[in-house]
Amino acid sequence: MILTLVKIELLKIFRKWRTYIGFIAIGILVPLLHLAMYLEGQHSLEFITRGLRDSFVLVGNLLNGYWISYIILNALTVHIPFLVALVAGDLLAGEATAGTYRVLITRPVSRMQVVTSKFIAGIIYTGTLILWLAIMSLAIGLAVFGTGELIVMSPDAIIIFEKSDILWRFILAYGFATLSMSVVCSLAILFSSLVENAIGPIVATMAIIIIFIILSAFDVEILREIRPYLFTNYILQWRELFYDPLNLEKIIKATLILAGHILLFFTATSIIFKKKDILS
Amino acid sequence: MNKKILLFVLLSNLCVFTQSKEPEKILNKVKTEFNKIEDYKVDVKIKVDVDFLKMPDREAKIYYKKPDKVHIESEGFAMLPREGLNFSPLGLLNSSYTSFYVREDTLNGIVTSVIKIIPLEGGSDVILSTLWVDTNRNLIIKVESSRKPQGTFTMDLDYLKTKIGFWLPSSMVFTFSIDRSILPRKFNFDTDSDQKKVLQDSTKSTTGKVFIDYSNYEVNSGLFDDIFEEKKSK
Repeated sequence: MILTLVKIELLKIFRKWRTYIGFIAIGILVPLLHLAMYLEGQHSLEFITRGLRDSFVLVGNLLNGYWISYIILNALTVHIPFLVALVAGDLLAGEATAGTYRVLITRPVSRMQVVTSKFIAGIIYTGTLILWLAIMSLAIGLAVFGTGELIVMSPDAIIIFEKSDILWRFILAYGFATLSMSVVCSLAILFSSLVENAIGPIVATMAIIIIFIILSAFDVEILREIRPYLFTNYILQWRELFYDPLNLEKIIKATLILAGHILLFFTATSIIFKKKDILS
Repeated sequence: MNKKILLFVLLSNLCVFTQSKEPEKILNKVKTEFNKIEDYKVDVKIKVDVDFLKMPDREAKIYYKKPDKVHIESEGFAMLPREGLNFSPLGLLNSSYTSFYVREDTLNGIVTSVIKIIPLEGGSDVILSTLWVDTNRNLIIKVESSRKPQGTFTMDLDYLKTKIGFWLPSSMVFTFSIDRSILPRKFNFDTDSDQKKVLQDSTKSTTGKVFIDYSNYEVNSGLFDDIFEEKKSK
């Protein structure tokens, strides 16, 4: 039953025009970044490494698909939440706006099953969006710029990864990005269960993310203490996968915290939706 | 008074003794020996040991052509100290300098003459170099240089005799100090606070070592200039 419900929810998601905004945005932005790097990437690299070049000889191809994908992943994971919230914020509130809540609830399925199927569909959409990002940045990046070593700056060292040591890190990083964006998706669905218009959940989700990011960025003692409790603090921890040695404890902790948030938002949404008085 | 005379005699003798070996002659022999090499191609294995750089060991090919053309080919990306990679005595000795003999020293069982060199050209980064010269084979087996502003570096060299009878390095250990402020602050355009530790440490200097093993020399095979031109165009 739940599988059928998920299929129906996915059908509803992918029938809406707004669903494709995220795919189109990534489909335009990533090739533009590739083009910019193709034209100016070498100059940027020389500028960044000018201090090093006085004392070191840099040999080999640094401007490659891996490096560009790493930069794109860095840049976009901050902005992708908006694209996720755009769809997830509409999952429950959209039913209210369209006046289909009553019809949905009168079908022989429990409210819990409705919420679960919407959550699963939302997370599948999020995963698809990240997969699209991976295809656009990594697959096209490697096709255009070729492979090579990946150079990363960790908190205490510059790390050069061998070609054979990179792909698995990207696969896990995209997996981690899917998990962290699923938290955003869950939050948007939670807000979506509270209102009857999709705009509110989208704006509220983005407002929460912006506030949390700003609070994380301010390096003040009192804010430093609350930082571990902000889920946005863990969104970018896929970067840990590109450090050597891997801090497994930190990665597992971040994964559990993010998964915990999804569970928390799902539980809260389920409770709210079960008790919700459907009037539309 | 007697003591003053004794001190004067001792100092005079010391001066005469320290100048008893002529550094110019020793260095010219080194130059002449190395000048016999028109070009060479060599396989190298490179291991970098420095706290701020984690790099896998590298294999590369170094091309050298007299007087100072160097081209490095490596399949992978490598970050290697400029001075240590393309060591040639000609780089040190072809510009104008003043030199003086210091003492005799034994390194790894090899008797060497220790010579100090002060570059006279204002543009040189090197303020002072000390060379340990094996006068039997006319080879520099250790170099210690002070540079501005990077600090001191040391090169310890072992040599092998190539098939056609030239002595060329078989291994080198390059020890250097470097200012952390040369590290790029944003390598990947990321913006979070993860890099604060690097920024906090950016004023500190650190030391590192590069180990280079040389093998498969091809000497005086007539390398074309194109190899070195290609490098410039990259």
